[in-house]
Amino acid sequence: MIEIIIVSLITIFLIGGAFFTAVAAIGVIRLPDTYTRIHAASKSSTLGVGMTLIGVFIYFAYYQAEIETQLILAIIFIFISAPVGAHMIARSAFHSDVEPYKLTILNELKRDETGSEIETEEHVRLKIERSKDKELDD
Amino acid sequence: MTSFVYIIVIFSIIVFAITMLGMLYRTIKGPTLHDRVVTLDAFGVTLMGMIGLLSIVLETTYLLPIIMLIGMVGFIGTVGFAKFLEKGVIIENDRDNNS
Amino acid sequence: MSFQLLVNIILAFLWMFMNADMSVGTFVTGYLIGLVAVYLFRNFLPGRFYLRRLYLMIKLLFIFIIELVKANIDVVKIVMSPKIDIHPGFYAYPSDLEEEWEVALLSTLITLTPGTVVVAISDDYSIIYIHGLDMDDADEEIDNIKAAFENVIKEVAQP
Repeated sequence: MIEIIIVSLITIFLIGGAFFTAVAAIGVIRLPDTYTRIHAASKSSTLGVGMTLIGVFIYFAYYQAEIETQLILAIIFIFISAPVGAHMIARSAFHSDVEPYKLTILNELKRDETGSEIETEEHVRLKIERSKDKELDD
Repeated sequence: MTSFVYIIVIFSIIVFAITMLGMLYRTIKGPTLHDRVVTLDAFGVTLMGMIGLLSIVLETTYLLPIIMLIGMVGFIGTVGFAKFLEKGVIIENDRDNNS
Repeated sequence: MSFQLLVNIILAFLWMFMNADMSVGTFVTGYLIGLVAVYLFRNFLPGRFYLRRLYLMIKLLFIFIIELVKANIDVVKIVMSPKIDIHPGFYAYPSDLEEEWEVALLSTLITLTPGTVVVAISDDYSIIYIHGLDMDDADEEIDNIKAAFENVIKEVAQP
C-alpha cells in the first residue's frame, strides 16, 4: 500500500522535472532576445532540476534506506545562486549596450541613465490602436 | 514495482539528453556573448540533474557529493564572466572611488 | 532576537547540568522548558518574541516556492504557443526599504516571480529597475509587487 504512494510520488517528481527542463531548452531556442532568454533559462531549469533531485532523494530514502542530505543542500544552493547569476548577466548585458527586442515598450532605465526618451515607437503605436478600438465600441 | 521506476528513470535521462543538445545549438549560434554564458549556466544545472539520475541507474551513492561541487564551480564561473564582460577586470585593486 | 536565543540555550544547558545527564533528549527537554520561561519574561527582554519572527521566515520561504511554480507556468504558456507575441519592457519601481539586506531579499524574490528580472539598482537603494517579460502597463505591475512582497519583508525586518 505504502509502496504505491511512494512510487506515484517519485513518478510525479521525475516526470515534472523532465518537463520543466525541456521547457527551459525550448524557451532558450525560441525566444527572440537576450533579456527574454535569461528569464527562461534561469527560472525553468532551477525548478526542473529541483524537482528531479527531490525525486532522487525519495528513491534513495525508501529503496536503499539511506537519507542523503547532501541532495537537500544542493537544492538550496541552486535556489539561492541561480537568480543572482541571472541578475548579474542582465546587468552586464545592459551596460554593454545589447539591443533589446524591437517590440520593447517603455525603456525607463535608459531615460534615467542617459536622458533620452522613454516611450518607444511600438508603445505609441499600441496606444493609438487601443484608443481606436475604444472609439469603435462607443 | 522497481521495474516501473526504472522505466521512468530511463525516460527522464533521454529527455535530459535531448535538452542538452538543444542548449548546445544556442551556445553555438547565439549572436552575442551573453547568450552563450547564460546558456552554459543552465547547462551546468542540467548536468547536476543528470548525475543524480545516473546514480539511480548505477545503484551507488558515491556520485552525490559531485553534484554540489559542479553547482559551486558553475556559479563562480558565471559570476566571474559577468564581471569581466561589464568592467574588463574580475577583481579590482583600487577601491578609492565607491564603484 | 539573538539575545533571547542565547538565554534559551543557556537555560537548556543549565537543565542538563542539574540532571547530570548529557544526552540529546535532556537537551530538548531543557530547551522546551527554557522556551516557556522566555515566553513568560518576554516583556523584560529586548525585541519581540523570537518564535514569531521564525514563523514569518518560514512563511516567506513558502511564498518563494509558490511564486517559482507560478512563474514557470507563465513561461510554459508563452513558450509553447505557436506564435510568440510578447511586449517586454523596462520599468522603475520605487521601494521604501532602508537596509541593504532587505533590498537584496526583495531583489531575489522579484527575480523568482513570474516574468520579472532585476536589472539595476540605483546608488541609494531606493529605485529598482525591472525587466518584464510581457507587460501592458507599468503601474499595475508595480502595485502587484508592492502588495504581495514588500509587506511581508517589512514584517520580518522589524526588530
